Amino acid sequence: MNDFGPAGKERDAGLGLGVPTCRDLVFGMAGSGGDGIVSAGDSLLQAAAAEGYHGVMTKSFGSQIRGGESSCRVRISTEPILNPGGNLDVAVALNWEDFLKFGAELPVSGTTVVIYEAATNIPVDQIPLVGVTPRQVIAVPIAGIAKATAGTERAKNTVVLGLIAGWFGIGAVAVMKGIRKKLAKKGEELVEANQRAFDAGRAFALENPLKVCMNIVPSEAKGQLKLISDGNEMCAAAAIFAGCTFFGGYPITPSTEIMQFFTDRVWGYGGAVLQAEDEIAGIGAALGASFAGKKAMTATSGPGLSLKTEMMGLASIAELPLVIVDVQRGGPSTGLPTKSEQSDLFAAVFSAHGDVVRPVLAPTSVADTFRTTVEAFNIAEYYQTPVIILSDQEIAQRKETLDPIDTSQFTILERLHPSGTELQNYDRFKQTGNHISPISHPGMPGGTYLASGIEHTENGAPTNSGTVHARMNDKRIMKLDPLKDRKDLFEVTGNADAPLALVAWGSVAGVCREALAMAHAEGLNVKLLVPYLIYPVAEATYRGFFASVQKGVIIEQSHLAQFHKLLRMHIDLPKGVRSLARSGANPFLPGEIVAALHRLVSELQRSHEGKLQPQE
Amino acid sequence: MSLSGISEYQPKDYKSDLKPIWCPGCGDYSVVQGIYRALAAIGRPPHEIAFISGIGCSSRIPGYTTAYGFNTVHGRALPIAQGIKLANPDLLVLAAGGDGDGFSIGGGHIAHLIRRNMDITYIVMDNQIYGLTKGQLSPTSPKGRNTCTSRLGSLEEPVNPLLYVLAYGAGFVAQAAPTDLAGMAAVIEEAIRYPGFAFVNIQSPCVTYGEEAQQVKHLKTIAESLESIGHNPADRLAAMDLAQDYGNKLHLGVFYRNPEPPPTYGDLVKERQILMAKDAVPRERILDLFIKH
Repeated sequence: MNDFGPAGKERDAGLGLGVPTCRDLVFGMAGSGGDGIVSAGDSLLQAAAAEGYHGVMTKSFGSQIRGGESSCRVRISTEPILNPGGNLDVAVALNWEDFLKFGAELPVSGTTVVIYEAATNIPVDQIPLVGVTPRQVIAVPIAGIAKATAGTERAKNTVVLGLIAGWFGIGAVAVMKGIRKKLAKKGEELVEANQRAFDAGRAFALENPLKVCMNIVPSEAKGQLKLISDGNEMCAAAAIFAGCTFFGGYPITPSTEIMQFFTDRVWGYGGAVLQAEDEIAGIGAALGASFAGKKAMTATSGPGLSLKTEMMGLASIAELPLVIVDVQRGGPSTGLPTKSEQSDLFAAVFSAHGDVVRPVLAPTSVADTFRTTVEAFNIAEYYQTPVIILSDQEIAQRKETLDPIDTSQFTILERLHPSGTELQNYDRFKQTGNHISPISHPGMPGGTYLASGIEHTENGAPTNSGTVHARMNDKRIMKLDPLKDRKDLFEVTGNADAPLALVAWGSVAGVCREALAMAHAEGLNVKLLVPYLIYPVAEATYRGFFASVQKGVIIEQSHLAQFHKLLRMHIDLPKGVRSLARSGANPFLPGEIVAALHRLVSELQRSHEGKLQPQE
Repeated sequence: MSLSGISEYQPKDYKSDLKPIWCPGCGDYSVVQGIYRALAAIGRPPHEIAFISGIGCSSRIPGYTTAYGFNTVHGRALPIAQGIKLANPDLLVLAAGGDGDGFSIGGGHIAHLIRRNMDITYIVMDNQIYGLTKGQLSPTSPKGRNTCTSRLGSLEEPVNPLLYVLAYGAGFVAQAAPTDLAGMAAVIEEAIRYPGFAFVNIQSPCVTYGEEAQQVKHLKTIAESLESIGHNPADRLAAMDLAQDYGNKLHLGVFYRNPEPPPTYGDLVKERQILMAKDAVPRERILDLFIKH
């Protein structure tokens, strides 16, 4: 069971059969590639959305492309969900070999209900889970039910959905509606077969009730509109919303879905997408499109970011807007292509030769990927600079239910074009009060100029003058200074004068938000800082945040603690602020962060450095 | 172009105020003259032209024109040029650079622009040497060539740029040299007019690091117009046969011109844009796509 749900759980209150008691359930399912386990997760998430619940789904696969093992986790809650959750409340194993391969990704505890395929012929008291006694273990003839009702074992996933609907009170109509929609194109016969499989699964559950009822409390938001998306699709949709009409890229896990979304859609907006011959050509084409006056984007992951580095430098010196998405995975080199890590931070911030400042933004959830991406385009276009969106596999590939986003709240910025007067004697790189020069593009009469990677004068002529170089470096770097004053690119939660602090970015911020709520519930006076702007480092914002802080933790998925080091380069952190950092693929759990806070509190009390006032 | 078909533009309209930094006598002076003439003959206003280059002596060339220029990074003129063309298919897009830029560091890109049939004209100023870095072996240097990085003679065969692009299916392939400026201007013009990827290899001697055999004086003795020997530019196999003489003979003119040019990538993009525009949800409602229930 996940012990740290935002709303707490009351499932053991002994309210009797059938009375809904759960507000938050974490399902984990695993099977072989062809078992359709991920498809079942999709259906469950859609049903949850239709019933007004909040939901998050993550998937995980073996390295095989076909066959092999696959799994998914679905967390459903009546309250907003900030991370995919920890221990499972419900584990579904279609076979044990595949389930066990996921290890810590599908953690079973003493409060987990374990459902598994009876055809494995393993007695319920001999399931191969070491060192844990689940709350209840149930063997179900899943394949048998599928065969008997749908005529094929391929309906196993539908039987599982029936079981879940029956045992946990997820709306049966909503689940079946999703399945019908998915199978509609394949014919009524198949739909009916699946309906029978679903009904049989549900009937099995109702005939064999759980020892302790785990029905989920109906959502008060039932009937309200919810969206379902992962971070990659949200990023691509936000780009199109922001006016992006060109995408150049190269397939790479875990960012490819961004290119796929563009491939399906961008033409309709007069745009184009190019699956280029390599990562360099992908960013090159995007940079070319930007030079031609269009909003352009590329997306990649670590290895691709390394290859794109030279072109990013060109974008900086040629002062061309460009948005580069880096969906981080474990590195270096090929590393862990399907697992999340926050170890590209140095690469995003520093990988360039020469003196370059390149804004880096990071979303913390699927929902705020939309806002972050729109912001990235605004900054790129307004300041005429490449901007990196530092997403991560966790955000990029997990699906979330989202409340509708009011797109009318966003302002879309466009690059500054030269006026008629300015075009009469046009200097492309003219020094101005805010260091931003009006930019023309091919096709614009009077605006011709030479863009170049070589240092250039205000009118674009190549130069090797040290004086001009120094002045142009000033211009290119100082134009970005106002970003550091953007308070709206930071989120602070908790009492402003709290002596305890958490700082986290990217997907880890979601875990910390949940940890913060738990810590507050336990009376700790702690605040959380989440930066969306990673670079340039807004020194004043951090100094202000840390002014009241005696003890704190900076939490990140990076062995080298890259974010902690980046901050220390720019500001003096209070002595009691330390790093909680580790390699990727091992998610942080809210509980361990709260535990770390408790340790800090004891240290504080021991050293009498200050008195902690419980919140409120 | 005016309605009468006679260009309103003179070559000088495409010449910028920037003074070239090439060595006196460099073949690239003729190339830029050839480009001015070709552009004047075509008659597109300079602001409708995007001229993209990589890095090297010859890659300085966009700055010497009045077009929109982009002097990019080494070997990457073509990827950037294709982004420009896709973003605005109405532009006349030229790409240029040296043999090292095009066939060594950037050698991976040409094949892909060819198979996409990007409507871009790519001019390579082939001098068989790295001039800007002061005389190192280049991908088109003849085998055995003594340079500062091959003092005992190079051990490798040169790339044959003509055969390379013909093999990948380029729709227009020509060669020119400063020995015949009018001919050079003519093939550049024809390359630009060809609807699709067009490649012009220009033997542009390096007067500082080149050998005797590469200078104009010698080239004049071996130059031979393809037209004069009766080559049919619609015959791709004959073109490939003649292209094998690269490095020995100097054939000038059009090796190959696809008599039935396939649609360009830009044409196909336009078709798809029209097709997809009908069903595109308005931008501000794009999130409707995520309503899954």
